[in-house]
Amino acid sequence: MESFTIGAPARRRCDGVSRRHLLRLGSAGLWGGLSGLALPGLLRAQEARLPGSPQPRAKNVIFIFLEGGPPQQDMWDPKPGAPAEIRGPFKPIQTSVPGTIFTEHCARSARIAHKFTVVRSHTHADNGHATGYHYVMTGRRAPFADGEYPVPTNEHFPSLGSIVARERGSAGTVPPYINLPHPMSAGGPGFYGPEHAPFVIEADPSQPDFEVKDLGRLAGLSEARLTRRRDLLDRLEADRGGLPLSGRSAAMATYYRKANDLITSPQARAAFRIQDEPEKLREEYGLTQIGQGALLGRRLVEAGCRFVGIDAPGWDVHFNCFPSLSTDLIPPADRAFAALVDDLDARGLLAETLVVMMGEMGRTPKVNAQAGRDHWSMAQCILFAGAGIRAGQVIGATDAQAAAPTRDPVSIADFRHTLLWLLGIDSRTEVNDPLGRPVPLSDGGVLIPGLIA
Amino acid sequence: MLSLLLAAGSAAPAADLTPHPAALFIDRPEGAEQIVILDAIDGHRVDRTREVSFEVADVRVARVTATGLVEPLADGATEISARLGDRRVMIPLAVSGVVNPPPVSFEQEVQAILTKHACNAGGCHGKAEGQNGFKLSLLGFDHAADHAAIVSQSRGRRINPSAPEASLLLLKATATVPHGGGRKIDEGSPAHRRFLRWIAEGARADVPDDRPVVALVVEPAEVRLRPGESHQLRVSALDAAGGRHGVTRETDFISNTPGIVGASAAGVLQAGVIPGDAAILVRHLGHVATVRVVVPREGIAFVRPPEISAIDRLVHDRLAALGIPVAERCDDATFLRRASLDTIGTLPTAAEARAFLADPSPDKREKFVERLLERPEYADFWTMKWADILRADKSKIGPQGAVALTRWLHRQFAMNRPYDEFVRAIFTADGPVGHESPAAVFKALDGAEVAARSMSQLFFGVRIECAQCHHHPSERWSQDDYAALAGFFTGVKLKVLPGGGEGVVSRGGVDLPHPRTGVAVPAAALGAAPASFGTPSADRRRLLADWATAPDNPFLARAIANRLWAHYFGRGLVEPIDDLRATNPATNEPLLDHLEARLKALRFDLRAFTRELLASRTYQLAATPAPGAEEDRRHFSHALPKALPAEVLLDAICQATGVRESFNGWPEGTRAVEVWDNRMPSYFLKVFGRPVRATVCECERGTEPSIAQALHLINSPEIEAKLGARHGTARRLAESALAPEAIVEELCLATLSRPPTADELAELLPLFAAGRESVTGSGDGDGALVRRAAVEDVLWTFLNRTEFLGNH
Repeated sequence: MESFTIGAPARRRCDGVSRRHLLRLGSAGLWGGLSGLALPGLLRAQEARLPGSPQPRAKNVIFIFLEGGPPQQDMWDPKPGAPAEIRGPFKPIQTSVPGTIFTEHCARSARIAHKFTVVRSHTHADNGHATGYHYVMTGRRAPFADGEYPVPTNEHFPSLGSIVARERGSAGTVPPYINLPHPMSAGGPGFYGPEHAPFVIEADPSQPDFEVKDLGRLAGLSEARLTRRRDLLDRLEADRGGLPLSGRSAAMATYYRKANDLITSPQARAAFRIQDEPEKLREEYGLTQIGQGALLGRRLVEAGCRFVGIDAPGWDVHFNCFPSLSTDLIPPADRAFAALVDDLDARGLLAETLVVMMGEMGRTPKVNAQAGRDHWSMAQCILFAGAGIRAGQVIGATDAQAAAPTRDPVSIADFRHTLLWLLGIDSRTEVNDPLGRPVPLSDGGVLIPGLIA
Repeated sequence: MLSLLLAAGSAAPAADLTPHPAALFIDRPEGAEQIVILDAIDGHRVDRTREVSFEVADVRVARVTATGLVEPLADGATEISARLGDRRVMIPLAVSGVVNPPPVSFEQEVQAILTKHACNAGGCHGKAEGQNGFKLSLLGFDHAADHAAIVSQSRGRRINPSAPEASLLLLKATATVPHGGGRKIDEGSPAHRRFLRWIAEGARADVPDDRPVVALVVEPAEVRLRPGESHQLRVSALDAAGGRHGVTRETDFISNTPGIVGASAAGVLQAGVIPGDAAILVRHLGHVATVRVVVPREGIAFVRPPEISAIDRLVHDRLAALGIPVAERCDDATFLRRASLDTIGTLPTAAEARAFLADPSPDKREKFVERLLERPEYADFWTMKWADILRADKSKIGPQGAVALTRWLHRQFAMNRPYDEFVRAIFTADGPVGHESPAAVFKALDGAEVAARSMSQLFFGVRIECAQCHHHPSERWSQDDYAALAGFFTGVKLKVLPGGGEGVVSRGGVDLPHPRTGVAVPAAALGAAPASFGTPSADRRRLLADWATAPDNPFLARAIANRLWAHYFGRGLVEPIDDLRATNPATNEPLLDHLEARLKALRFDLRAFTRELLASRTYQLAATPAPGAEEDRRHFSHALPKALPAEVLLDAICQATGVRESFNGWPEGTRAVEVWDNRMPSYFLKVFGRPVRATVCECERGTEPSIAQALHLINSPEIEAKLGARHGTARRLAESALAPEAIVEELCLATLSRPPTADELAELLPLFAAGRESVTGSGDGDGALVRRAAVEDVLWTFLNRTEFLGNH
């Protein structure tokens, strides 16, 4: 099998490595996973580790993205001493960690605060939604202006999900990278190409008729015939009579392979059946899109998915924000996160699963004239749980207005480096961008101080 | 060539380094001039600016950065030397205005800083609602408002005249106090010093501007780079008095193809490893210029194939300049399938393919195109395309409106209405929305402004909507132009008709106020003088239609020529296809000029124009690139594979399987292309990207493949039902007396429009002789079952070939 090592010296496309060639590399392995693709980056990370120092433990990531920008001061970084126009109407509550307070609408996560860690000092300088989302997911500033509809192109840097998928491959038959209940707009594969694009479950798992379309077993067709068809198509597609396998047809070929893998596995199909979960547990997560999304996320990592990206939109609260925050936004997110951490813990999966909850920005310290809060990327919170992180902490702090970090500022690069490190992926691993330039997976960054046990 | 060899030899005298400019003048303390040092190797101009070492004779007067930027320190005259090995050139420098500088101009000098540091960008304070209470006009086009925002608003707290360095504006910009945008300006930098001086001088808005910038000069305007090479640009602002000063540092550089040539904030072009071309947008204070860059492929001797028309000659000219070889002509089967799918959105049948392939006449391609243009499917297909972009959305214009508009479109394409008349009819549409006419367009585009900006994008390729809220950032269009164009549509009203339903009426109208100043702007077409309407009750739109369809109109023919080119060749000469402007040039300007002229010469006969496009050798190229042209996506060296629209693919599957799709509420046999109801539920159409007709942009139609599409094609009950249908093609062939070879051939012709290859036959024929267990898994069943399964699986295989799923 041909293997394509991403840490190898630059193999530029002008040197004869065409896109077609690149797409074919690694295609022999199921999902391209654990084929040779991942090893160099992983090994180097291991070599860099000193005996006795912390070890990466994460095998999977469940990434809950609160799209629009969750308000740090109304959730996990309350400022009860600040004037009313800054602290807002929500009351602070004690958590299971003495001295740590959240607001009253984060009651469920407050009860399990000893099981996760809040970073209160995440900060970056991109105040746009599309551009900020792009920054979080790719670690690179967006090459488009905010407000422009960002057409996903193969010139963008790959998203975190695509990197994890490519580096780790699937541990089962479900795709290694899944988005739900719709695509993460900045979650694309960029120049990795469609092979590393997320599988998108475009359905709401909280609905009773939730199902993943076209994954069922076709009535009247024996396994033998399905295999025969697949083999035939594979053999015929291998010789395309000189037609270039480029652009759309290359992408389509990749999707065919993935689709076939998915159909052929009963375990994969079972993983999507959230209806098999006990009703009581489903209620524990909340019968909401984000709640059932988190539960489905757990099922998917159990089935071998490496990165589940759950997109939870609606957080861009410029106007009259407090009623919607206190009913539609914070409690469902709080419940989903707390239930997920508890559930993973009870199943013994928390040690190897990293749960992250964050958005692309925070919100302005001061409540605006329309009783909302505006964009504020200078101070944000990130929740980390599982994967052996040191739980029960607050890392970093903000000033009296939750406006800027006062200690341990955590940049996008730090976040990215840390997340990759927790998965055993060396963020200095270089990949070739579309110009053939070797670029590191993370643009610098250091481990978030104190997060790793 | 000789000089090249000499230059390469160590003993030969090297050519002189050439400095640009030859002499420097700086007349303001925060000014800066970019030096560019050019060298010649083998007749190729090479930028050495970042390799030479600079030295200033009198270091009190100025300093030079390693990248060749000269900054003044004191008034005086001196010389700068640039040295490369043993070669050296001297550049005289005169500095003035450091001691007694003229006061800072807000409009020219402060706005330039705010723009260069993206303070007034769309993601920051430049967006419509501002950012955290501080709002600037986008890219600094509204000086009065911006000055007020900085100096007066928030009780003047942003400026501290008594202690300029304590001004909130600067504390934020340097991130000395928390700033959402982070640090934008370094303390002590020229930008910072200029701000300080401006505030110290009283933060004036009224500095008499005796030298407003009138144009930008970018050197060089055209660059030829080798792969990997870089080149510094030098930008000067030309003022009304004829003076010029360097603004390279205060200019934005944006490449339209960063993968080929990148442009840094400092104005350094960087060619990548892939040959190609790019245009660099250069922008300073509302003035724009374009730099064209070519990175030719080296070592290619372009062989000019036969040229059928001027189209081929112009394409080959460009390919020759870029060093991209051109592909072979495609075979008959490929042409048949391509032309049919492109022109009428319909897959050729097996019988058609057989007849075409067997036809020995040399002009059969031309004759086939002629027949295609007369087929009823031609009108069906183009009706669908135009219904998309004219926004025939049932939920917006109602079922009666959608039917009426669809019928009208169909009639226009069936009768080949000249495009200028077609456009005139749309512009001046009136009457009941439910009667066959384009009146419903004005229900879809409700309101004068929506109508104006949609029509402008759709028919003129001008995105005037950018000028709704601010001056177009890379064009000449202002908010005046926006309001002026919308003024043509202010008389359009939707009225409830006596018998029910709605009708479009256009009588008179008013001039719209400028969105900011409130002053009425007389209606005027793009770049034209204000219109004079005669009677106040006249339909104002008629004058716009006259202007649009006049022979010298610069927009209409060019925009549709580019749109049709994009349709048939897989990519516009300009992309996006409806964004034509000087700063977004065509990849082949002479070709677009030619197409525009041809369309006018053909009196906007779209079929005749299509005939010319399809007759070119360029259209008939193979999809397989010639060696060395693999990376080309922009210059038409080979055919670009195209995605099939969702409806076309569904119809193709139906035709090949012999099983019609039954659309709820539609007559049996209706093809997806014919369905006017864009909201009709259909999983297939949804996952394959049917647009919702919410915009006038063709880009709304999704062309990206997805795993959901693949799953649906290989594993959906819907497709499986077509394969196994009692009256379908597979069953018919299985129950026929045809030999397996004939069946495979028939299915291959019906899907891929070509006979099967020997390899394909070798793979597929054994299915017919397979054991029963390979079909049922158990050994049960009879021979007929084996044969039926074989036919179904052959068809399944062809339907799932990438060759079937696209148009190559």
